[in-house]
Amino acid sequence: MDFSDLALRLGIDKEEFKELAELFITTTRSDIKKIKNGVLGHSPADAAAASHSIKGAAGNLGFDEIFSLAGEMERQAKGGSLDNFDVYIRDLEKKVNALIG
Amino acid sequence: MEQKQSYTVLVVDDNLLNLRLIEKALSKEGYRIFCADNGPDARALAQREKPDLILLDIEMPGESGFDVIRKLKDGSETNAIPVLFLTGVSEVDSKLKGFDLGAVDYITKPFHPLEVLARVRIHLKLSIATNSLIAVQAAKLRQLTEAQVSMLPTPADNPSARFSVYYKALEEAGGDFYDILNISENIKGYFVADFSGHDIKTSYLTASVKALLAQNCTPVYSPMESMKMINDVLVEIMPPGKYLTACYMHINRTTRKLTIINAGHPPVVCLPVNGEPFLIKTEGDILGMFKDAHFGSQILTVSPGDRFFIYSDGLVESAENKITWVNGADSLLPVYREIAGLPYEEAPEALIDHLFGKEGSPEDDIVVLCVEV
Repeated sequence: MDFSDLALRLGIDKEEFKELAELFITTTRSDIKKIKNGVLGHSPADAAAASHSIKGAAGNLGFDEIFSLAGEMERQAKGGSLDNFDVYIRDLEKKVNALIG
Repeated sequence: MEQKQSYTVLVVDDNLLNLRLIEKALSKEGYRIFCADNGPDARALAQREKPDLILLDIEMPGESGFDVIRKLKDGSETNAIPVLFLTGVSEVDSKLKGFDLGAVDYITKPFHPLEVLARVRIHLKLSIATNSLIAVQAAKLRQLTEAQVSMLPTPADNPSARFSVYYKALEEAGGDFYDILNISENIKGYFVADFSGHDIKTSYLTASVKALLAQNCTPVYSPMESMKMINDVLVEIMPPGKYLTACYMHINRTTRKLTIINAGHPPVVCLPVNGEPFLIKTEGDILGMFKDAHFGSQILTVSPGDRFFIYSDGLVESAENKITWVNGADSLLPVYREIAGLPYEEAPEALIDHLFGKEGSPEDDIVVLCVEV
């Protein structure tokens, strides 16, 4: 994935952006694990908190699709529902993995 | 020597990426950045490093941003640090709560690093402007204190008046005042007053009272006449609701006659050279309030070595312990007996040490004047 435009938008160089993107992938994978634990433990609050964290970081880096998906997951989990989270999680993992390609 | 002016910013966010992004954007512009990913660490860093500004995420696990700001504002060392919080764009309640708790601004998430930079700059500028305003005001008040203190005569400048003094103003514009009047070689006047209020107006009034004392405490007028004339002028010039309690003691060391004029002031303590201390209770109206004021008066015959203590109510009153000077003055008489053996030059300081201890802090302004005949 070419990060040049995103880096330019944030006023940093491409290498710096790449470093941040790698950090994003690491922290997001950790957050996805928390969401999965939230689903397994029937804890929408935990899933909402981890989704919120992903949403914030994705929004800041300009990863709009991940931002929207995490936002929807947070909204739903805050409402107490974890329906379709297996689908959401798979989709999220796919989008995060696509950043590496 | 090279002088660096580097501003420090504490960034608090549980998301490491957000921390790193802000750190990169701000450190590039010369700011020193401290990062914390949880509330307790953030508070410890704020306490230790005293950053110039704090960027604080609201939604954090454990201690939330609201908890952090509440605790920072409760701490005397951290309450003045401007806090900008990071919050979601649609979270109106969260923004309002942040302001209620003392935040100066917010940045909505997702944020753009350049917006963060712009807001940090503007709030640091505001903070610098506020701090310099405070510094200017403090300097002016210090000048006022110096001017007030310079109006107070010292024992070294008036050796023939044989007095010693303890004077302490709790605020820059102190409410207590004293003056020594060299009426003639052997006739001296000692004046102690306590103005109502500790505001700036008080400090200007002390200059007026000093001038009135110099004009009216002369050999031509009796002590009572002097005080009545001063009262008549003060009634005209005092702001509404302002007044002062005062005590004027006039000693003629040739005739050994001592006159006390009391205007609503705590009683003078007499410590005879051979005898027990006692209060000279004289009731009278306050100064500067009534045109036809009636002041208490006492005339005593004194002996060389007799000592007199004139003081303000801060010495004998305690709001905390609900003690007024009416009963506080009586209870202090044994203390005067204890310090009777000291030279009169040391008596006021010894009295204060006895009452408040070396490290003690009085609740009000205090002046204690000790006069030896």
